[in-house]
Amino acid sequence: MKGYLDLIPVLEKIHRKQSRMTRLCITLAVFLIAAIFGMGDMEIRNQRAMALKDDGAWHAAFRGVTKEQSAMIGAYPEVKRSSRYAVTNYKLDKDYTIEGKKAAVCGFDEDFLELFPLARIVEGHFPTEADEAVVTDNLQKQTEISVGDYLTLETPKGGELRYRVTGISETTSMMAEYDAIGLFLNSESYEQSFMGDTEQKDLECYVEFKPLCNIQKSIKKISSEMGIPVDKVGQNVKILGMMLQSNDSYIVKIYLTAAMLAVLVMVAGILMITGSMNSQVAKGTEFFGMLRCLGATCAQVRRFVRREALNWCRTAIPAGLLLSVIVTMALSWLLRVLSPRYFAEMRLGISLTGLAAGTVIGVVTVLLAANVPARRAAKVSPLTAVSGNAGFVRKVKRAAGNLLRVDISLGVHHAGGSGRTLFLMAGSFAFSVILFLAFTTTIDFVNYAINPLHPWQPDLSIVSRDETCSIPKEIMEELKGNPAVKRMYGRSFAYSVPVTGGGEAAEETIPMHLISYEENQFAWAEDSLIEGNVKDAEEGGGVLLDYKARDALYKAASGGADDVAKNAGRSTDKGAGSEAAEGTDVWKAVTIPTISGQKDYPVAGILSKTPFDSEHGIIVCSEETFREITGEENYTILDIQLVRNASEEDVEKIRNLADGRTFSDRRKGNQEVRGAYYSFVLFVYGFLAVIVLITIFNIINSISMSVSARLTQFGTMRAIGMSDKQVIRMVAAEAGTYALTGIAAGAAIGIPVNKVCYEMLITSRWGAAWPVPAAALLLMAAVVIGSVILAVAGPAKSIREMSVVETIGAL
Amino acid sequence: MEILKVENLCKTYGKGKTQVKALKNVSFSMQKGEFAAVVGESGSGKSTLLNCIGALDEPDSGSVYLDGRTLFSMKENERTIFRRRNIGFIFQSFQLVPELNVEQNIIFPLLLDNRKAQPEQLEEILEVLGLKERRKHLPGQLSGGQQQRVAIGRALITKPMMILADEPTGNLDSGNSRDVISLLHQASKRYQQTILMITHNQNLASSADRVFRVADGVLTELGEGR
Repeated sequence: MKGYLDLIPVLEKIHRKQSRMTRLCITLAVFLIAAIFGMGDMEIRNQRAMALKDDGAWHAAFRGVTKEQSAMIGAYPEVKRSSRYAVTNYKLDKDYTIEGKKAAVCGFDEDFLELFPLARIVEGHFPTEADEAVVTDNLQKQTEISVGDYLTLETPKGGELRYRVTGISETTSMMAEYDAIGLFLNSESYEQSFMGDTEQKDLECYVEFKPLCNIQKSIKKISSEMGIPVDKVGQNVKILGMMLQSNDSYIVKIYLTAAMLAVLVMVAGILMITGSMNSQVAKGTEFFGMLRCLGATCAQVRRFVRREALNWCRTAIPAGLLLSVIVTMALSWLLRVLSPRYFAEMRLGISLTGLAAGTVIGVVTVLLAANVPARRAAKVSPLTAVSGNAGFVRKVKRAAGNLLRVDISLGVHHAGGSGRTLFLMAGSFAFSVILFLAFTTTIDFVNYAINPLHPWQPDLSIVSRDETCSIPKEIMEELKGNPAVKRMYGRSFAYSVPVTGGGEAAEETIPMHLISYEENQFAWAEDSLIEGNVKDAEEGGGVLLDYKARDALYKAASGGADDVAKNAGRSTDKGAGSEAAEGTDVWKAVTIPTISGQKDYPVAGILSKTPFDSEHGIIVCSEETFREITGEENYTILDIQLVRNASEEDVEKIRNLADGRTFSDRRKGNQEVRGAYYSFVLFVYGFLAVIVLITIFNIINSISMSVSARLTQFGTMRAIGMSDKQVIRMVAAEAGTYALTGIAAGAAIGIPVNKVCYEMLITSRWGAAWPVPAAALLLMAAVVIGSVILAVAGPAKSIREMSVVETIGAL
Repeated sequence: MEILKVENLCKTYGKGKTQVKALKNVSFSMQKGEFAAVVGESGSGKSTLLNCIGALDEPDSGSVYLDGRTLFSMKENERTIFRRRNIGFIFQSFQLVPELNVEQNIIFPLLLDNRKAQPEQLEEILEVLGLKERRKHLPGQLSGGQQQRVAIGRALITKPMMILADEPTGNLDSGNSRDVISLLHQASKRYQQTILMITHNQNLASSADRVFRVADGVLTELGEGR
């Protein structure tokens, strides 16, 4: 030994078992921080990849600019890359066609492919000559056209333009959904043929700025110098947000929330480590007293405790980091398995940011956490060593109450007797509750931000071009034997059917859409049923109304009262108008004109939502009732869900059945939504699972340490006649006091924190009112109480097996 | 040469009805190399006196001069360092670091002072204390008497001018008690150290150069021991 600090490794070696709990605490805290930061980093990287893929790498788009302006913008020193971009028939409302399919024509510079990876050329090269073009791969799939072949674009004016295909690009989800072809030309050749048909707003200049450049400042500079109005400048908010360069107030709020959550995680870690180190220091009071007596200064004792803490870090931090790497890798792997197409490029989740955050924050946290116990140790009076009764006679301000049984009373008093211990123990429990309540808002955020796929979401649809019931049911018969089809369901539409409400007051007719459902759709409608039943409507004994239809009927009958849902003072998406509409019979039956005259139909039920939109509401009926009303037997839309391994060939076969009707392929869009949803959900639930696990470990650890630190005291109590059951009851009462105080404090702080997070993440964007997080609070309270029960079970065993003689002998 | 001078030392614990006057105007002095014993009943105030002299506890009034320096005018840090270098403590319950061996326990105070032990000095102390054969033993492997000898060695290693011993034989049998007292005598003569020892044992007290008695916080000198 060369210095007094060399005593630390000696003590560490011998007391490895005793310091195990503290090291475990550090490991868990580092794991919590590294896992959460790692998962955050992973998600940001994923979001960035997704944003680059979906929205492109561009930062700003200047709309309505001339060719000269585009060139000048590209010459700015802040601009790394720019490209002109122009589009014709973006809305597919003009008759530009290739092989009979609608086409959108785009013209841009080659740099645009870097800015907008969606237009990536998968085969061939960018067109350089005036008669060259790149075409989306859906045309290739349908017509087997390949690079080098010629295609003809028919224009609305009856002209024909012939192009040689130089490359094939991927089809975007929008193109796939509308079964349209994308034709990409270089800017010069576009200018020659399409400028006349291009609207001014569709002439754009996409820009990517250089790294480390102040993008907002540069955008302002360019727009003011070029005379481009600010409202003509679009920004790629997602990418800018991730570069911390966005001026979008909502993005700033998301960052604020993330920062707040990061601080909460750090504080939780600090509290966990401080709590456990505090117990460790309490055990060593006499030792520190001896050190002081031998002449150690306060600073030396503080240094001793800090160094001891850092010594624990040597093994605890790598263990925490390793654990976090395993968890994040498992999550990455899970993401890739769940959504291979979406996460195929994702690395197996080792986040350097997460590891660095875990290490740096871990060490800083340990040093910060060691500060309190270090100061406490330094304050230990040297007298504790002289008197020889350190730790056995605690200074208490008041005697235990005698309202409860003595054992329970002692337990409660022990918990409340030391303010610091109560603060640290209950504080760390409370922080778990606060963390959980804060993070649960992210679940709502995901549900609002990304609508998961509804069960009725089709992969393919065959849609009537003129919105009539013109799709024969025979198509369904043909598809029935197709093994690629998992499920199919058709709907017939009758638009703006004049409907009258029931009851004496109802006179006004309201135009509503009438839609037929079959068994699958009726089954899905059950989930949105507010009132009544679906079965009657399915069997032809009535119809279903959506809440909008019901409210419209009520409004018409009550002489055009204001919006019913608003009057009822609740959110409009759940059919809140029921409160106002209740008590009337205006919507209990509806009168609908049928091919054989007016007929009354009872309303079997009310739905909170349907997959369709209508100003005045929707009426849903069975196919039989629809035929009775309209005389139509065929469908307007036929939706098809495919089996998981359906091939492109299968899709082509179905496409051929469409035979001149609109064929919509939603697979790509569905995949994108599903991927985004899964990634977020896994991310958010991963966070919550980590918090719950840490809570359980922390509580078990803290209680166990607290008990083991006072085992001698319990031995004394056993010696003076306390039964083991009484001692266990005393421990349980103490642990229960910490838990209840923690839950109460956690709720008192966590609920306002939850409200702030909710308002920043959700209310400010979607306007939804904040609900009290009762379920989350109850769940967390159950976790805390359950963990305390588990935590007491372990020490209870040691108390039962405790040898009173040996314990007292140590006194 | 006067090493210790205590003047009008007063110390009171508690307030109101629970107030206890532990020391009442205690004054005395000790010369270099003197060995004094303090006797008195439990709660008489003798430990309080020792703690105040050792600067472990602060008196309400009065002064303690050690080698002419007043302890309580120093700042906490300065006082700790002064204590580390000039006062050695020996406790009834030994207070050894169980994880360190005999040698390491003895040199520990030097390490706190960022100093190295002189090998010949350590050898001498081990020799004097009869612990040469046991130098690598842990405290748990020693008898009570041997542990107290280690504690004495630890008090001697910094060559303090004063050694304060609180019931150093309280946990020892009579044979070991005699050995410990003999060692303390040797130390006071060999290293010219002033020793103030608290004891219940009248026989042991009588072997000291001077004997004080504390009763109800009042110190009286009973005279010379031997």
